[in-house]
Amino acid sequence: MTTTPTELTDTQTQALLLKLTVLADDEIILAHRNGEWTGHAPILEEDIALANIAQDELGHAGLYLSLAQTLGGSDPDRVAFWRGPDDYLNTRLVELPKGDWAFTMVRQFLYDTSEALWLEAATRSTYAPLAEIAAKAVREEKFHVQHTALWVERLALGTPESERRTQAALTELWPHAAQLFQPVEGEAELTASGILPDLNAVHARWSDLVTRHLVDRCGLTLPDAPATQPGRDTHTEHLAPLLEEMQRVARQHPDAEVW
Amino acid sequence: MTQPQYPSSDTQWPRWEVFKQDAPNRPHQAVGSVHAGDPQHALLTARNVFVRRPAAVSLWCVREDDILTATPEELTTNFALLDTPGEAGTYHVGVKRTNKRSMTFVDLSGTVQASGSGDALRQAQVMHPDVLAWMVFPETAVVRTDEDPGTVESWFAPAKDKTYKQQQHYGVIGRHVGELKRAGLMPGRAASEEGA
Repeated sequence: MTTTPTELTDTQTQALLLKLTVLADDEIILAHRNGEWTGHAPILEEDIALANIAQDELGHAGLYLSLAQTLGGSDPDRVAFWRGPDDYLNTRLVELPKGDWAFTMVRQFLYDTSEALWLEAATRSTYAPLAEIAAKAVREEKFHVQHTALWVERLALGTPESERRTQAALTELWPHAAQLFQPVEGEAELTASGILPDLNAVHARWSDLVTRHLVDRCGLTLPDAPATQPGRDTHTEHLAPLLEEMQRVARQHPDAEVW
Repeated sequence: MTQPQYPSSDTQWPRWEVFKQDAPNRPHQAVGSVHAGDPQHALLTARNVFVRRPAAVSLWCVREDDILTATPEELTTNFALLDTPGEAGTYHVGVKRTNKRSMTFVDLSGTVQASGSGDALRQAQVMHPDVLAWMVFPETAVVRTDEDPGTVESWFAPAKDKTYKQQQHYGVIGRHVGELKRAGLMPGRAASEEGA
């Protein structure tokens, strides 16, 4: 690339490393949950579609962690496979068990919309390597949004059973969604210098977008969400078994040279 | 384990034939089919299933019920196919010329003005007498991906960066078998028989 990367201060580097890890953790855990549908999705075509989406999310994690590595972070495979539940910083939203198809689609919709809006804003980052990653990933994310928005709409407006399941999924997931917009330590300084998007602005756009789709278009009801949430270091009991399965092969073969 | 009870009626969503265009100014080609509940769902599903890797710039989907196909053999035994009714208007004509390619079943070769599906099939037969099969469907039955830059960017551009990888690109657990053999670390047949 012809642009010289912005010089980061040590404080900025640490904050950006943390942010990239947080972003990657959400992608990895959600990709694993989606991967659990492989061979079990309601129809063959959606089995393929969800596996594609999971692969895309893992690819985004790879982008974030590779950039983190250039800032002094560990090897992406070490980060993914050798940290336990106490070190993972994903949201509780993405670690909840996959539930039924409505639950998976509603969660994916809440996540895809937030990621697409964040990435779209991150394409304007003053830190060129991040802007490049965002430009690459946002294309896939915009397609994900179309896929999951369509599914949520079909389920919400489908049969009484699909509507009931979709509303139940939203009721359970909604309180967790705001966690996607919790800043990491030091994020304010990165936002002030234009390196990271303004998370509050992204949150406002997201609230508007998902309300229009879920409430106005799909006729669903948004439940109340708690005003404050524990941080990303607080997990449900579901994360540990997920990591145990996801990391089992890697940990059985610590001498593996390539994954 | 009990045997699954198959419902007596077909509960599948309709089948849609998927046509993919690899590059501008190239014909759309039938690449396979998807099951979907409505046109937009068909297009999204077609993108997921058929545009993960290869290059594409446009997708069409056409419901199975709107498509009429025939082989020369079928026409000799079922001449009534040429009387299949349908709306008058523009029909797309597709032909299957060869069995050699596994991923492409029918190339769209152009359009005709026809009084119905049977008439379109008759014209296809006249225009392309020496092919393995014909396919016709009305223009009004086609659902298409949008051609705006946003759609092209999010539906088709990402796949272009994802080339097929050779198997050896992917890693192995531990060391490669060939490497172990060269280092004399692979157990020989005699040794493994002894162990067994």
